[in-house]
Amino acid sequence: MTSSISFQPDPSAEPGAQQAVTASRGGSAPPTAPPGAGASKYRRFGVRLLSILVLLLLWQLVASATRNPSFIPSPRAVWDQLVLTSTVHDGIRGYSGHFLIEHLGISLRRILIGSVLGVVAGLALGVVMGTVPWIRVVVEPLVTFVRALPPLAYFSLLIIWFGIDETPKLWLLTIAALPPVAVATASAVYAAPAGLVEAARALGATRWNVTRDIVLPNALPEIFTGVRLAVGIAYSSVVAAETINGVPGIGGMIRDAQRYLQTDVVVLGLFAIGISGLLIDAVLRVAENKLIPWRGRA
Amino acid sequence: MRSPDVASSAIQVAEGSAIRAEEGAAAVDVRGVEHVYGRGAGAVTALGPVSLTVPEGSFLVLVGASGCGKSTLLRLIAGFERPTSGSVRTGGVEPVPGKGAGIVFQEPRLFPWKTVGGNVELALRYVGVPRHERLRRVPELLERVGLHDVADRRIWQISGGQQQRVAIARALAGDNPLLLLDEPFAALDALTRERLQEDLRQVSAETGRTSVFVTHSVDEAVFLGSRVVVLTQRPGRVALDIDVGLPRTGLEPDELRALPEYATLRAEIGHAVRAA
Repeated sequence: MTSSISFQPDPSAEPGAQQAVTASRGGSAPPTAPPGAGASKYRRFGVRLLSILVLLLLWQLVASATRNPSFIPSPRAVWDQLVLTSTVHDGIRGYSGHFLIEHLGISLRRILIGSVLGVVAGLALGVVMGTVPWIRVVVEPLVTFVRALPPLAYFSLLIIWFGIDETPKLWLLTIAALPPVAVATASAVYAAPAGLVEAARALGATRWNVTRDIVLPNALPEIFTGVRLAVGIAYSSVVAAETINGVPGIGGMIRDAQRYLQTDVVVLGLFAIGISGLLIDAVLRVAENKLIPWRGRA
Repeated sequence: MRSPDVASSAIQVAEGSAIRAEEGAAAVDVRGVEHVYGRGAGAVTALGPVSLTVPEGSFLVLVGASGCGKSTLLRLIAGFERPTSGSVRTGGVEPVPGKGAGIVFQEPRLFPWKTVGGNVELALRYVGVPRHERLRRVPELLERVGLHDVADRRIWQISGGQQQRVAIARALAGDNPLLLLDEPFAALDALTRERLQEDLRQVSAETGRTSVFVTHSVDEAVFLGSRVVVLTQRPGRVALDIDVGLPRTGLEPDELRALPEYATLRAEIGHAVRAA
């Protein structure tokens, strides 16, 4: 949450300097991947797998040593809960009447809707803030203020306003996701490279052309960083959003399990959130490479 | 076009303000222009007063030491800035960026989110060329600056010299009567620079477009220009205004550089730049 809070243009994104570097390279060939990249990739994978196994072993050792499954459940107990919460057993469907995957799916849907709304609103607000100076002066403190608030703090207000159903949860995630996108977009739009804007104007671009063809594409890398940050914040806020009337939902599941001291279910919920979070970030990374191939190159 | 007969073309030094109507209508008309940056005690007069007329079809090179205001003069002609006093006219009207002049900067200033072809295509779109015609003209324009099969490449996949060629193709796309170049080859290595100079000389001879080229290289000025104007140190004024009178076509670059007139011009302009 530390990146691009202010509107100072990022010195490393200064296009003139980078273009000069590219230009001075003259006729040299474009850089290629270093040899042996494939081998080191396998080795890295091996090291990661090994470290996970070591951690599991440590976990098992600590669990056996403490002998208190409500304090530290064993890996085996968590695995059993994974099976139990994913099947119908003794006439009970999963946990609290929903399978683990359903709890997770509902939460992911909330995160998706909240993030999309927050990103769209943040993008629009950021473009306006980056283009119109007086709006930036007025709105920036407000955005920074909201950004500094922990989502759980304003959730109470949202409950009073919107009740305890789906609406306050989506509002919470939207409000949490908006500021990072707005701030990243505003600073990138504000710091549009003068050289490229001038080049576009020299080609006959109108004001709107410049915004659409130069300012926005140029801001895309930073916007995307803001989006990844926003999704991360929405993700970490979903548990807060599900503290009240949160079942079905992974946060609700964890909260219920905590109430009944089902520590193994709590740990299972943490794993579900953590692993799906990593997967989502990986998907965003791939999307970023596809959408913004020029990032860091021009 | 000037006569290719070298022997008969005399080197003439003219007053900077002289209007040479015999060469056709003025593509650029700079009258009593002064340009001041900043205000009050910190104000710096970068340029002038300067008066210059560039006839249609000529290739004017502005030479001078760095900081002499030659780039400022080019920016005034491009319409990016208004002169503090005096007037600038291109094609008889006040210059507006994007209307009437293609511009090549020192850096290629290509848009990295577009492919090579996409950069040229965008320029065509801005001047209202319909889509089907753009697809036809993009490879045509790239060919004209000596690029083949690079339309689908990314900007960072081509060399600095190729990038500057794309920038020239992009500036030519608008079919503007005027081409402005601000030290476009300064950041390139010597070999690439020479090749681009040769190609630009040929492109300019083929298109017959009026060009204003800013450089600090005396050799580049003599090689490219049909006329060379030397500016003094800040504030830049016209120190020397000289018709080159070398043949624009028909000679190989080496043959051109071997001409005795070439050496004479180089010496004279070099002397003026140092004395300025």
